[in-house]
Amino acid sequence: MNKLAQKYLRPSQIPTKACHGCGIGMIENWLLQAIDELGFKQEDVIFGTGIGCVGRQTFATWGGDNFGATHGRALAVATGLKIAQPDKKYLIVVGDGDAAAIGTSHLIHAARRNLGVTVICEDNMGYESTGGQFSPTTPAGYVTNSSPYGMAEPSFDPCDVVKAAGATFVAETTATQWHQTVKIVKKALQNDGFSFVHVRFPCNENFGAYALGTRDTLKNLEWIWEHTQGRTVDGKETDFTWETGIKHDASNSRPEFSKILRDMNERVRTKMTEKGSGDGGH
Amino acid sequence: MAIIQTGVSEKLVAPWAEWAERYREGRRLLEAGTYALTEGAIAAGCRVFAGYPITPATDIAEYMSKRLPQVGGYYMQAEDELAGMHMCAGASLGGLKAMTATSGPGYTLMHDAYGWAITNEIPLVVVDAMRVGPISGITGAPGQGEFYVARYCSHGGNIETIVLSPNSVQESFWLTIDAFNLAERFRTVVTILTDQVISDMFEDLFLPRDYAELGGIVVPRRHNLTMPFYPLNSDAIDVPPNIVGKGTGICVSAYTHTEEGYDIEAMEAQWAQTYRLVNKIRHHREEILRYEAVGLEDAEVIAVAYGAASRTVKTGVLEARRRGVKAGFLRLISLWPFADELFERDARYLVCELNYDGQLVREVMRAAPDKRKVHFMGKSGELHTVAEVATALEGVARRGSIPELPYIWTEVR
Amino acid sequence: MAGTETKEAPAKTRTEILISGFGGQGVIRMGQILGLCAINQGHRVTMLKSHGTETRGGYVRAQLVISPEYVDSPVVENADVFVAFSAPAYKRFHELCRGKILYDPEMVEEVRSDVPGRHVEVPATALAKERLGNVLFANMIMLGALTRLAGMDFEAMKRAMLAVIPRFHEENLKALDLGYQLDAVARRA
Repeated sequence: MNKLAQKYLRPSQIPTKACHGCGIGMIENWLLQAIDELGFKQEDVIFGTGIGCVGRQTFATWGGDNFGATHGRALAVATGLKIAQPDKKYLIVVGDGDAAAIGTSHLIHAARRNLGVTVICEDNMGYESTGGQFSPTTPAGYVTNSSPYGMAEPSFDPCDVVKAAGATFVAETTATQWHQTVKIVKKALQNDGFSFVHVRFPCNENFGAYALGTRDTLKNLEWIWEHTQGRTVDGKETDFTWETGIKHDASNSRPEFSKILRDMNERVRTKMTEKGSGDGGH
Repeated sequence: MAIIQTGVSEKLVAPWAEWAERYREGRRLLEAGTYALTEGAIAAGCRVFAGYPITPATDIAEYMSKRLPQVGGYYMQAEDELAGMHMCAGASLGGLKAMTATSGPGYTLMHDAYGWAITNEIPLVVVDAMRVGPISGITGAPGQGEFYVARYCSHGGNIETIVLSPNSVQESFWLTIDAFNLAERFRTVVTILTDQVISDMFEDLFLPRDYAELGGIVVPRRHNLTMPFYPLNSDAIDVPPNIVGKGTGICVSAYTHTEEGYDIEAMEAQWAQTYRLVNKIRHHREEILRYEAVGLEDAEVIAVAYGAASRTVKTGVLEARRRGVKAGFLRLISLWPFADELFERDARYLVCELNYDGQLVREVMRAAPDKRKVHFMGKSGELHTVAEVATALEGVARRGSIPELPYIWTEVR
Repeated sequence: MAGTETKEAPAKTRTEILISGFGGQGVIRMGQILGLCAINQGHRVTMLKSHGTETRGGYVRAQLVISPEYVDSPVVENADVFVAFSAPAYKRFHELCRGKILYDPEMVEEVRSDVPGRHVEVPATALAKERLGNVLFANMIMLGALTRLAGMDFEAMKRAMLAVIPRFHEENLKALDLGYQLDAVARRA
């Protein structure tokens, strides 16, 4: 176990049950680096997860307080928690199913409310824990176990969705961009509002094997890297390009959700005291 | 003026029979059931409400939006019922008592959160103001269609549930305090099954002078700060709820868990978890049993009902007694765990409920000594009339069957 | 469990009042004031309100039961008093009433002729227009008349009205008084 893992993680739950070559553990290390560089302690951060590869592999790895929600509802749980525990930092680590499919309405409304949490959407471009079906972030046309003739639906970019909904920090990065990812996560955690970080990573067992035709971790990482550059390693244009980096930064530009509610309570109670009926009765 | 001579014994087995005696200083109002229920929640220390508007539970949301900020609490309007109950679960995990309220169509959406909250032993109160269904049905008409749904409110089995049902505006106030108390003591979700009539009707309501004086009856929120977070193979109650945000290292999840809350795929852990979730409730049934009984000593036929239906049924029983029928009345207040012990007498039972398919009646058939002596009187969308109930009781007592009545269903099989 | 007790139930006396009309006529408000007045005088009260989905113009009904003891059935099956604010309401509910029927002749033009003694004409809408310049006060005129007919405490009713209605206190007091002082009503009280 490395030094950061020793400092922040739960020895009994490490290493995770992830498949060989999975990017989830590596990305978690980068999150720890960002947390460490910001000087946060275990008790400062609440770690929330969802269901699927990302939920299962990261749940209970964090040494502090953890929750693993039902599928898609991590942000709904986090909304209630944030009201009760407003001073904590929230790292909500979910997959593309949680964020971009079953839980999208909660994602949109958490962004709209400017809920003070950082969502890390670790996107392996499909439902891999159930054996590799396509998801709304699988590139159109690619073959998966539920799109044997190529994915027929168009995909969408969750960054566009949360930005339109009002997120105050939005960024996209990949498992091939260590330093950029750490820098982005640090910025996201410093926003007292809704931050969304989209991180693509390769699944070797399913997406790699069926969509890209290889279980080789390096080849799958290379495929992702090529699509961030728009060029293959041998200089050809890729079929599409992912723009990575910070896509929207309005950090700390509008009030955080739980603060809006606390401020409203303050106004209501001040008015009641002025009227002389400020007790807890009726 | 109608005068009914009763002279019959009445019995209320519920903690508020005594609470009402203890608190006599206060205000008397004419208010709706939704208002009383909201005030009960505030009095019980509820500080978070998250829900989605739906008739006839919307008034609870509106009252909450006004009242919670006044007492330092938080009202959240969720994007759907799934979010609403998960938000409440999150808030309760963070240390605040929380409640949501809905009606049938929203209630079915909450099952996802139900299982999560029950498994993780998160105290919560959920209100379902039932209306006639299926699905949207008629929004302004009462129903009793969620009797079983409230028991089987999550998939996967291996749980017991606590469900209470009030039948008056005043009882909506006390019973809601009671529901919060049970939620804290049993570390689980307590469902209040009310209905469109009891929610919307106005009735005289006594509210105690100052809720701060209710300390003697309100179970406060405590926090468990040490292992075990989930006592396995234990039926203990009054275990303080866990809290997220105090750095205890608590883990909360959707998976079968260890004492620490780690996910585990081992049958021993599965059995140990189930033992706790089921037996903490089953082994303390006497702490949950609440009912009202009238004239059971000499009753040959006992009318059984709950919620709004019980109001006209009770008057129907008194009317039948006036006609010389040895009729009794049994109102279930705690619906689940089911009160089998109340049906041990070899009498005839007339089960009156607000649906045509027959739900409560099936449990009475199971619990009673002779299911052939259990009769069903279903009505859909509106209350039984006093006349109908009295006539049916006469028929069952004298001929062993319910006479044919328009809009009344009696078939169960 | 604490709170278990057995007691002898006393004789029960209940008064059933049915008020019905169109949405927007203040039917529920009238019931609320009546109910609160009874509560303030130590009575137990239930009031069922039912209506169509329309906010205005639809059918509205308030069923009140007032009793010195706890009311079990809140359903009005044999009304002691029926207040009819519309022709459809009159037609639908008059058979449920075996006591006095108060009706507004501007709304209910035809009443059954077999029981004239039970019908009391209260020209609430016309009076509200003439004397107060707004039909909205018709319900308070009707409530004044009902207070007189039922022999209820007029001062207590005024206090209940002031507690329930937030605005236009002067006009509403005047309307209550108009109904209470109506000759036709005073003679029947």
